[in-house]
Amino acid sequence: MKRFIILMGNYGSGKTELAMHFALMAPNPAKTLVIDLDMVNTYFRLSDRKKLFADAGIRLITPNFASSHVEMLTVPAEIAAAFALDWDLVVIDLGGDAGAAALGQYKPKLLQAQREGADIQLYNVVNTNRPMAGTPAKLIRLMGDMERKARWNVTGFINNTNMSYETTAEDLESGYEIIKQAAEETGLPVAYTSGKTDVLDAFLAGEHDPKYVGQPLYLEKRMHRDWDTLTKEGV
Amino acid sequence: MAKKLMKGSEAIAEAAIRNGCRFFFGYPITPQTEIPEYFSERMFEEEVHGCFLQAESEIAAINMVYGAASTGVRAMTSSSSPGISLKQEGISSLCAAELPCLIFNIMRGGPGIGSIQAGQGDYFQAVKGGGHGDYNMITFAPSSVQETINCIGQAFPLAEKYRMPVMICADGIIAQMMEPVELPEMQPYEVDPAEKPWAATGWDPKNPVGERANVTSLYVETEQLDVLSARLQGRYAIIRETEPQWEAYNMENAEIVVTAFGTIARIAKSVIDELKDEGINVGMLRPITIWPFPYDAVREAATQPGVKAVLDVEMNAGQMLEDVKLAINGAQNVDFFGHCGSHLPTVDEIREKILSMREE
Repeated sequence: MKRFIILMGNYGSGKTELAMHFALMAPNPAKTLVIDLDMVNTYFRLSDRKKLFADAGIRLITPNFASSHVEMLTVPAEIAAAFALDWDLVVIDLGGDAGAAALGQYKPKLLQAQREGADIQLYNVVNTNRPMAGTPAKLIRLMGDMERKARWNVTGFINNTNMSYETTAEDLESGYEIIKQAAEETGLPVAYTSGKTDVLDAFLAGEHDPKYVGQPLYLEKRMHRDWDTLTKEGV
Repeated sequence: MAKKLMKGSEAIAEAAIRNGCRFFFGYPITPQTEIPEYFSERMFEEEVHGCFLQAESEIAAINMVYGAASTGVRAMTSSSSPGISLKQEGISSLCAAELPCLIFNIMRGGPGIGSIQAGQGDYFQAVKGGGHGDYNMITFAPSSVQETINCIGQAFPLAEKYRMPVMICADGIIAQMMEPVELPEMQPYEVDPAEKPWAATGWDPKNPVGERANVTSLYVETEQLDVLSARLQGRYAIIRETEPQWEAYNMENAEIVVTAFGTIARIAKSVIDELKDEGINVGMLRPITIWPFPYDAVREAATQPGVKAVLDVEMNAGQMLEDVKLAINGAQNVDFFGHCGSHLPTVDEIREKILSMREE
């Protein structure tokens, strides 16, 4: 069965990191497609990690001019391959906030794929340390806005609350509390809670309602900034 | 206050607001469009109640800053390299009219329209006078989002103390990256006519209080212009003496000293940490203000006992290099490594350069 994992969320929520995780962990790289559909950002994007996908034998579709010195990106026609060809998994990484609009034009294609039996998950990746997603009300408002632009409804939350290189289990904990309320209010499930191994394990050691934790996702840091990889503070 | 994870651009706008900035005028340009974007919403929230205006051009925006600043309020504009070039006439006028304000340059690759990736090629433009006439402005070159916030906190009071525009030159990476930050509390700012007698805050001819404010950069008579020039130059001399800021890093037993500013200094720090683990001591002197340039600190670091050479690293063809050389004045060997705009020097490249210097 064809599976779509579409990642939507606030700027800085960690969509790209998660997109890389879902793609690189897929059991069959030859039947995995990754689409960088971030039409907003010109820096720090999936396409900066082209080589990782090439090495893993995974096809990556990149907006025209992404990671170049041109600021007007255009959507590549190649995206049609996501619907026309036979894949096990298609991962789509959307741009932050208003960037969700890039998905809108694919609504008819997604509906058709759904009719043909595809499983389509649109996850709202949440980092409650971001000012615009810091309360249940704010994050629900932001989500509604993104859903309208994406022309597709969110199917679940991912708690990826982090403070970049300063993340601790407390960050996931505060994300858990806020997302729990948002999940109760919207009736949407929490699909995953994600973080680096030590942080996630420390969080999971605490008491939680598993319903609002979902599956744990152990992330490796792949979107680090190259120049800081050698400093003690990481990034 | 709890830390937040913020994009540089958002943090810049929010920090300006929290330091009392209520007037923003600008025109979009990558990689800093998120600054006006953030202001465009936040300025109209009740607790802020300020003015955001997308001007018809960069030139219009800087002149709107001139108008707002003339009334004593805290005003700001931001742009990126080519847009800052357009603002130069206005900047020169702001300096001559002695108007405090904040100007952000989120530097990208140049010359010309250049590229949208980070650059440092506007060093000369910022500190050697991109516009005409004998003027200077205090210019910060922060190397992290948090330091940028801290510079904004200093910028408005310094601009008001010395009655001059303050510029913050950050590169595209600072505006685009997300970092954990702590923001200051909201500090409302009210214009106090007693503190700013020069400000055009309204004058009632029937009931005159104090002198009529006259904000101008036009001095037709030589004698008058001389008075202005002497006043400005006197002020600049005090600033050169008292306001330089810098960071010294790993200077103990350093055999080579790196000079760098902004994001490039972070890359250099990675190299310094790596070499330290291997028993090689490399120090760094990082100017935080590029005008006034910390000449004394650079000279002292470069001539500290045990230091054999200085390496200046920049993302340009070697602009701050000239100030480094002026500071050292021949007392030490100075080498340079860099790439021009939008091509980040890597950790490996800087490391290789330092190791090759040790062999010489």
